[in-house]
Amino acid sequence: MRAGDTTKMLKMIVCIKQVPMVSELPWDPKTGVLTRDAAEGMMNPACKSALEAALRLKEEHNGQITAITMGPPMAMEVLHEALAMGADRCLMLSDPKMAGADTQVTSFTLARAIEIFCSDYDLILCGCHTSDSETAQVGPQIAEELDIPSAAYVENLSVKGKTIRIERIADHFLETLEMDLPGLVTVTTGHFTPRYIPIGGLQDAFGEPNILTVGAHDLSLDENTIGLKGSPTKILEVFSSTAGKKNVVLTGAPKKIVEELFKRFDDTIGSVIRKDLKAVK
Amino acid sequence: MERKKRSIWVFGDYRNYFQNRVTLQLISRANDLAKIIGAEVCVTVFGHDTDEWVGEYIAHGAMKVYVCDHPDLKFYSNDVYITLMERLVRRYEPEILLVGATTFGREFAPRLAKRLKTGLTADCIGLDINEDGILIQTAPAFGGNLLTKIVTPERRPQMATVRPGTFQEIPHNYHATGEIVPVPLPEDLPKDRIRLISSERQPSREQKLEDAAVVVCGGRGMGSRKKFKNLYELARVLGGEVGATRPVVYSKWAEDETLVGQADKHIKPKVLFSFGISGAIQHTAGIKDAGFIIAVNKNPNAVMMKMADVAIVADAGQVCTALIRELKKRIRS
Amino acid sequence: MVFNACMKHKLVRKSVREFAEAELGPIAHEIDREARFPLEVVEKMRSLNFFGLQVPKKYGGAAADSISYAIAVEEISRVSGAMGLCITVHNSVGIYPILKYGTEEQKQRFVPKLARGEHIGAFCLTEANAGSDAGGVETNAVRDGDGYVINGTKIFVTNGGVCSTPLIFAVTNPDKPGRSASVFIVEKGTPGFSVGEIEDLCGMRANPVSSLFFEDCRVPKENLLGAEGDGLKIGLNALDTGRIGIGAQAVGIAQAALEASVKYSKERQQFRKPIASFQSIQNLLADMATEIDAARLLVYRACAAKDAGLDFGKEAAMAKLYASTVASRVTGNAMQIHGGYGYSREYDVERFFRDAKVTEIYEGTSEVQRMVISKAILTEPI
Repeated sequence: MRAGDTTKMLKMIVCIKQVPMVSELPWDPKTGVLTRDAAEGMMNPACKSALEAALRLKEEHNGQITAITMGPPMAMEVLHEALAMGADRCLMLSDPKMAGADTQVTSFTLARAIEIFCSDYDLILCGCHTSDSETAQVGPQIAEELDIPSAAYVENLSVKGKTIRIERIADHFLETLEMDLPGLVTVTTGHFTPRYIPIGGLQDAFGEPNILTVGAHDLSLDENTIGLKGSPTKILEVFSSTAGKKNVVLTGAPKKIVEELFKRFDDTIGSVIRKDLKAVK
Repeated sequence: MERKKRSIWVFGDYRNYFQNRVTLQLISRANDLAKIIGAEVCVTVFGHDTDEWVGEYIAHGAMKVYVCDHPDLKFYSNDVYITLMERLVRRYEPEILLVGATTFGREFAPRLAKRLKTGLTADCIGLDINEDGILIQTAPAFGGNLLTKIVTPERRPQMATVRPGTFQEIPHNYHATGEIVPVPLPEDLPKDRIRLISSERQPSREQKLEDAAVVVCGGRGMGSRKKFKNLYELARVLGGEVGATRPVVYSKWAEDETLVGQADKHIKPKVLFSFGISGAIQHTAGIKDAGFIIAVNKNPNAVMMKMADVAIVADAGQVCTALIRELKKRIRS
Repeated sequence: MVFNACMKHKLVRKSVREFAEAELGPIAHEIDREARFPLEVVEKMRSLNFFGLQVPKKYGGAAADSISYAIAVEEISRVSGAMGLCITVHNSVGIYPILKYGTEEQKQRFVPKLARGEHIGAFCLTEANAGSDAGGVETNAVRDGDGYVINGTKIFVTNGGVCSTPLIFAVTNPDKPGRSASVFIVEKGTPGFSVGEIEDLCGMRANPVSSLFFEDCRVPKENLLGAEGDGLKIGLNALDTGRIGIGAQAVGIAQAALEASVKYSKERQQFRKPIASFQSIQNLLADMATEIDAARLLVYRACAAKDAGLDFGKEAAMAKLYASTVASRVTGNAMQIHGGYGYSREYDVERFFRDAKVTEIYEGTSEVQRMVISKAILTEPI
């Protein structure tokens, strides 16, 4: 085998989503409704772990990483971040027509882009779920769309030739699997703690960034098959899960608060700890 | 041509039967929904030596069970199960197809939905039927801070994965009868592209924190390591466990095992005390199944305070001390 | 919203903040208390290019632009002023003079190790009888064969306790006014070079600020930076870059104090209301925020001037003067807003207050900055 033989190169694709950074959600205290638009974006944590997994494989093997995202123009940021961490090139799918896509259509759009722009992949890595919509569906659906095998919730992996060895915990079973490549894995955040971004990497990522931006037209996609229009599921309503809570607010001196707490909720707490918490006379 | 009877299907996920009752819970909810739309409740069982599960499903409310029993199906397999299910669905055209949100279900359902070109809602915590007979699927987002109601208005079946523990199973009924429909193993099943090298049952790990009925969680708002230690005393008095946020563990105020959060332990206490925790999503994702929440924070606008049943605006350390004192007074020996 | 000129700078801020909050956040209070230089975090900072922020790639640095550099210093300082100090001194006055005045041989020899953080840099001008007045320097270097013999004592050396290749400002020719001094790179381990006790300072306590002693310390002539007599030129130029960093540091500390104040004033209840609902507090917060933003923009302007290859001495002095004044005022107000808790050593605000004060003193006091600024505007053509 000759050195620099690109057929030996492990070609990886990492799918990345930008999600809102919500450490303090801007709530409307009266209605319990939250304003999503105010939130800053960030790379979804599990996607970052998937990228980390790919980077470790790249360090171990002769590898190449293509990062892909679909989203509004501001999502470009996560691709720069991916380049700074060590991805080699990026694909940005951005088109107003793609907005509002559910998982069915998102996976369809991503799969078409992969087929057109990077079809010679060995391994696709996705985060096991996103922190915003939390569906955990896009990864397996991309695999189905591309007709390749997939394994979800992967804790650890290693590539051996044209197969990949996977460890995961599935329903209380510690499974070791061997999957044929090309294939797709979705990665948990457990084992692959992402590296910090080096400043030098960031400088390079903005030097001559290797990012290709494409729209629906470049993928020859009919607008009726993508975005909100093409999505089989429709969202009727979004509401705060805490809206139904009574949310009793207690203020004042700690001692008074605690007395008030037991006055009102002695039964609620007492029944759980199986103790009578009525005030002692 | 015979008109097909409307049906609601449940995927029979029998692995870990005794811990995982989600299939039974789904059969129960399917029965509720079936009454509204006038449908029958069907379950599919793929595997080998499955009589026991088939019997169980009927005893818990299944009216019809499609059974494909064959030695080749001994292990769960995505590729094979999806193909089997796809063919059955195309043939019998159920209105609704429910899958438990187990690890397997979460991998199986998305691919199946894709192949059937229908919509799928993930990890539902509520299922209802609206006036048009459409399935309303309620699913969490943003670490449980938001709920969304989702429908699949046109495509069929309407598919959802459902979080275990969402619904109550119907009690076991030995007299229940149901129809068993054997499904022959097709000869042209795909070759599995994933091989199982080993599968070991995880020794049942200590899950004290995960299974505790009362959890006392603390964050940086406790102020110091010393004050944080008081939470252990409170937990002891309550007969509960202590959980912690990531910053607290990073500061070495608490052990790694106490970490509660998205990538860490997910807890489901009936009563959760939350001290000095602002409610970053990385943490709240781990407590979305908590019942009654009592949060203590100086900041009344903290996310955690909005999520709470009782929001105590005060210094977390002082309230902890006051609680210990008051509890000791009230709990008589 | 924090001002970010472009997506790159936004990501630099985000990345450094993530690192600083995760790695320095949990220990910032403790390392101040214990006056401990956190080697375990320094180790992690090395591979992330914090020690070679603006060093060209060929010497192993990040080749960052000056605004990226300022943001990095700002964000580290926002969490730990003392570590922000370590970074800015190392990168500006510790490395920059070698890059600007060093021979290729000197760059090859010293810069890669500094850029990788294997060596930590320092700059030594201040002495018992010299500081703002460089003419008072008594440390001398006498030519002896193919080297120089250095004698003298430097005080208040930032990074002093951990530096490997400090730059020493020493008199080589007392009779040549304006060209009396030179700068030498002294390597750790050179006989006659020793480190004094770590200073017990009011703020920046996690930084091992110390004295350095030189007793018949012989360095080869290859360690002379620039030409003999270039000392003042090199020193002044180094200070110009250093001031950008101190300005950024002051902005970072002030930002931390503002954020703590906003949070606290929303939580703290008096007269059954959060104190943030009182106009007197609102006015304080408004002024703090405005002044910090103004200071930040002055720092970035000095950065832009430097990157454009323009003279930036006046801009750097203005940025440093204003940012340090603002940092002192903002941290003082933060303490006022926090009341008794602000005065408590359990809270971070008093640390911000102590750390901020010295930004008005080192790298040229505010009084010296005013000299620099006024001299520039009085000599500029109208």
